[in-house]
Amino acid sequence: MEKMLRNKKALLVFMLPAFLLFTLVLFIPIIQSVYYSLCDYKGMTKPVFIGFDNYKNLLHDKTFGIALKNSMFFLVFSCVSQLLVGLIYAAILTNIKKGRNLFKNIIYLPCVLSSAALGLLWLFIFGPKLGINQLLMKWGVENPPLWLMSTKGTIPLPMWMIAFVSLWQFVGQSMMLYMAQISGISKSLMEASYIDGCTKPMTFRYITLPLIKPMVATAMSLNAIGSLKFFDLIWNMTTGGPNHKTEVLATHLYQQFKYFKYGYASAIGVVLLILCLLVTLFINKVVKTEQYEM
Amino acid sequence: MSYSKVYKAESDLTSKKKISGIQIALYVFLILICLTYILPLLWVLNVSFKTNKEIFTAPFALPEKISFENYSIAWTAGKLGISTLNSFIICIVTLVLSSLIGSMAAFAIARLRWKGAKLAMTYFLTGMMIPVHCVLIPLFTRFSKLGLSNSLLGLILPYLTCSLPITIFIMTGFFKGLPNELIECACMEGANIFQIFFKICLPLSKTGLFVTGLMTFVGNWNELLMAMVFISDDAKKTLPVALSKFVGPHATNYSQMFAAIVIALIPTIVVYCAFSNKIVDGLTAGAVKG
Repeated sequence: MEKMLRNKKALLVFMLPAFLLFTLVLFIPIIQSVYYSLCDYKGMTKPVFIGFDNYKNLLHDKTFGIALKNSMFFLVFSCVSQLLVGLIYAAILTNIKKGRNLFKNIIYLPCVLSSAALGLLWLFIFGPKLGINQLLMKWGVENPPLWLMSTKGTIPLPMWMIAFVSLWQFVGQSMMLYMAQISGISKSLMEASYIDGCTKPMTFRYITLPLIKPMVATAMSLNAIGSLKFFDLIWNMTTGGPNHKTEVLATHLYQQFKYFKYGYASAIGVVLLILCLLVTLFINKVVKTEQYEM
Repeated sequence: MSYSKVYKAESDLTSKKKISGIQIALYVFLILICLTYILPLLWVLNVSFKTNKEIFTAPFALPEKISFENYSIAWTAGKLGISTLNSFIICIVTLVLSSLIGSMAAFAIARLRWKGAKLAMTYFLTGMMIPVHCVLIPLFTRFSKLGLSNSLLGLILPYLTCSLPITIFIMTGFFKGLPNELIECACMEGANIFQIFFKICLPLSKTGLFVTGLMTFVGNWNELLMAMVFISDDAKKTLPVALSKFVGPHATNYSQMFAAIVIALIPTIVVYCAFSNKIVDGLTAGAVKG
């Protein structure tokens, strides 16, 4: 058996397809992308090496500034809000007696639906003459807000709307992760804390929270990467508009790609990649603490 | 009587009323939350049966008569029919291939004895952190040179690659959980490594396959960005792309657009309702394993 499991031929057969695909379709293109980001490359012509000029241009690009700011806002908002709301939902759902599965399934539902379709759905709900505004006008509100078209403020209203829709859509994911972790905590721990005189909120604070900390790190890094990659909802709700106010890194990259600015778009991609790696490292360093035996 | 029973009896006596009050508040809160999930979907369903005029004159009433005209127009004019078919082909092929290739690699990592196993796992896992956005452009230029742009294969390849990390991640967990004796036993009976994989390990990890298959399918079914970049031919578009093109703020035929949204949402909702418990449990199992 030892000999069989060490068989190099079998190893090759098992590993090669995945390894080849991964290297050819993911890793070599990343290296290429880094190279392109250092080139002047506009579609038809061959890439010409120009050093860090693309990155210098990024610094002067106003839209890139907005996109970076929005992406950062989105990152922080989704990490914090998903953590809080997900935990609250999980805590409530583990504390009710009947109908837990029903509620859980309903809240999880939008996670499996297409962001593109849901984005369009919310586009109409927050449309100037449809959805919410029809309701508001019926109730006698004279000038209902233009939800997705206002441009005021550092973080304009449409950005907040998108952030809330994404929270609405994806909070089920975090909730499920936390619920799985909470239901894994042994009952005797809870009982011990009750005997020691803890109330339910105290038990939650001193028993449940520390025990689900590792899951917080996992869920948060998933959220963080997801929010940096975020594209579908924004593209279908505002296309980065009005006046590029809701542009994020992913949409900006796609717009530049459509104008054949391949080198420049690659530079944005590299910035996105570095952000993703940094954020994951940061979360795992800060949040992940010792694992408790359960 | 144990302490817990004493505690329970006491708390039942003293705070029965208070607790039930809190419970009611929790239920009200949960029902309100669930309404935010259900009402938008019901609204779009309701509007999709209306005429354009009705949407503005009687926005919240039920439609006057149920007709499927909006749907048939969206299906044909919006080219949703052909794009649904494309989505199906792409997702099924990706699902089958990624399950096979992914679990083969996972088996090699979890079960075969070689030095690079840990390194290989790290290599695949970094794939989860990498945003696809930064490989779009090199892939696009390469694919157009190879004649793969505007073909379904050109979309299957990147989808397959992006599905591999999660498949390998979850399946490795499942293969590691299988008892060693099982493989020893099969080995003694004279099975070779491929028989062990296909006849023993793979069938025993059905739950894992179901979970990863589901995640792969849902993820690829909903994917928008790569599909927009790699496919520009109308006949090859996938469902999310065709939908985004057909429905937009500047078009005016609202009722058909709503019908299109419903068409895009319905299949997933039906599948979800049919298997919801299994899906939710499976996903949790997968998440906890990881």
